Amino acid sequence: MPYDRHDVDGSDALRPSIRDRGMRLRILLVDDNAERAQAVAQGLLADGCEVVGVVPDHADIVSLVRSTGADVIVCDLDHASRDAIDSMQALHRNEPRPVVMFVDRTDPGSTEAALQAGVAAYVVEGLSPTRVRAVIDVAVARFKSHQGLRAELQEARTALNDRKLVERAKGLLMLTRKMSEEEAFRTLRRLAMDQGKKLSETAANVIAMEKLLKS
Amino acid sequence: MAVYSNSRQLTVGSFAVVSSISEPGSLPLSRPAVTKGCDVVRLGFMPLTDCAPLVVAEMLGLFQGHGVRVELSPLNAWVALRDRIAIGQLDGGQMLAPMPIASSLGLGSVARAVSVVSVLTSQGNTITLGDTLLADIEKAAPALAKLRPLPAEALAAAIRMRKRKGQEAPILAIVYPFSSHNYLLRYWLASAGIDPDTDVLLRAVPPPLVADELAEGRIDGFCAGQPWGSRAVDLRAGRIVLGTGDIWPNHPEKVFALSSELLEHAPETAAALVAATIQAGKFLADQANLKQAAKWVHYYALPQVPLSVVEQSLSRRLPYGPDEMEQPFAAPEFCPARSCPHTAHGQWWLRQMQRWGHAGEAPSGLIERLWRTDIWLAGAARAGFPTDNLIVSPCPDGA
Repeated sequence: MPYDRHDVDGSDALRPSIRDRGMRLRILLVDDNAERAQAVAQGLLADGCEVVGVVPDHADIVSLVRSTGADVIVCDLDHASRDAIDSMQALHRNEPRPVVMFVDRTDPGSTEAALQAGVAAYVVEGLSPTRVRAVIDVAVARFKSHQGLRAELQEARTALNDRKLVERAKGLLMLTRKMSEEEAFRTLRRLAMDQGKKLSETAANVIAMEKLLKS
Repeated sequence: MAVYSNSRQLTVGSFAVVSSISEPGSLPLSRPAVTKGCDVVRLGFMPLTDCAPLVVAEMLGLFQGHGVRVELSPLNAWVALRDRIAIGQLDGGQMLAPMPIASSLGLGSVARAVSVVSVLTSQGNTITLGDTLLADIEKAAPALAKLRPLPAEALAAAIRMRKRKGQEAPILAIVYPFSSHNYLLRYWLASAGIDPDTDVLLRAVPPPLVADELAEGRIDGFCAGQPWGSRAVDLRAGRIVLGTGDIWPNHPEKVFALSSELLEHAPETAAALVAATIQAGKFLADQANLKQAAKWVHYYALPQVPLSVVEQSLSRRLPYGPDEMEQPFAAPEFCPARSCPHTAHGQWWLRQMQRWGHAGEAPSGLIERLWRTDIWLAGAARAGFPTDNLIVSPCPDGA
């Protein structure tokens, strides 16, 4: 399935006339990171937006923009479909004309913040920029927290690996050198300090060395 | 060595030659910094055969030979490259020649100014059509349909026939509006009286998708860089009917563009980068080296395309169709004598943008500011490349 449709209300018929009078903004999300897309979608729903589609792959974005009547397209900065979205204005004269958000140069700071977070947003021509700002803010926050989450996960994994290495090195020293657990740990720590290395690196070296001696 | 900026990513010491190209499939630009405080020029490239000069320069250690550390990152969209330069995450890279003009005219987005410092490749895009449209051409213009390169009149006849029958206009894909593909395709169409804005439907499709889209019948043809034409032939999705080199022989294709910031603060670094790409061009101009180059390009830029197709796209001979003989073909050309950026060529792209209403009046001297022949000359001097027999391809309209 190329995308999910989350219709919250069936107000299509009313949309054009009241779009700029407090109607829910219709957002199309283009992101092949499903987890992150979900987080952005939830944030936008909570903010009173309607998410009309989540597109993970390179589906025909142009016709989706048309069929979903999206007001705003929120997109991963590096998504392969961006050239096509960016082209709609130049190539399709009678179609929706999404304009990349930074054409509005009133707020270069927030544009830069969005790009730094990896968010590109397109706004269908004629929509007031102030209404879109909130959408972009939500997307930027979710992209950032996702980055943070990934970094934390990575750190946690590294920490786990480090601990595993130290435990294994300790075990080896206890086994082959008949050291107590405390002696083994102190030996590792001293080695690490002498060599100016992280404890886990020294542990890895000890494991490699013991393997070498064994073979 | 001239340095450019602070706190850039650095690749691991002795493995820099291999490791400073981001692995295919990895997220570009998001690897953690290994060491901080060293100066690295960050360049982007696209999944296309003609990124070869940058990949080859890196793999042969040519950038390093000129004292510059380079980190190459694969990208998926031209506008991502543009935006990454705009926020200072990239310093330049492989680019479409009309893009620096579009950026400086403020078309499409806010962008940091970039300049053209060298021409990486000449020609190398194909116009590839699917079976349905080819069958229509065969019916409408049987005498012309088998000719290669295909005359635009044959396509015009098919379009008229479709119109008479009340059928829809053919959908042709290009990769991006501000591209050599768009303007050379339009030039070719218009030469037979086809109006590219009304007689056909032009659609933008990312290059890695054009072959699949053609196979699935969602487009009737495309103009895209290699290897995507060869890939379509390989998938039996269509036939190559001409190369853009048949429209403008040896036209300048991908350019090497650098941010104005780098050019302003480190012109020496820019010249060193140019020198490395000229040397890479020399390597690629030797047929004997193409097998090796194809392996590198396959691994770093096009892992999703079979190596045989990448090899074929680099060679000077390839079949137009699955059952056709190999023919001399307008393949990407790596010719250092053609790598100097000429303002006459920049002017031609600008005129095409104006011709189709994509650009208005341009400030005088714009192309002279963007096409940095001076940097190229400094690079050629560094590379020891003689500049007394440069080749300038005349523009197709004789200008």
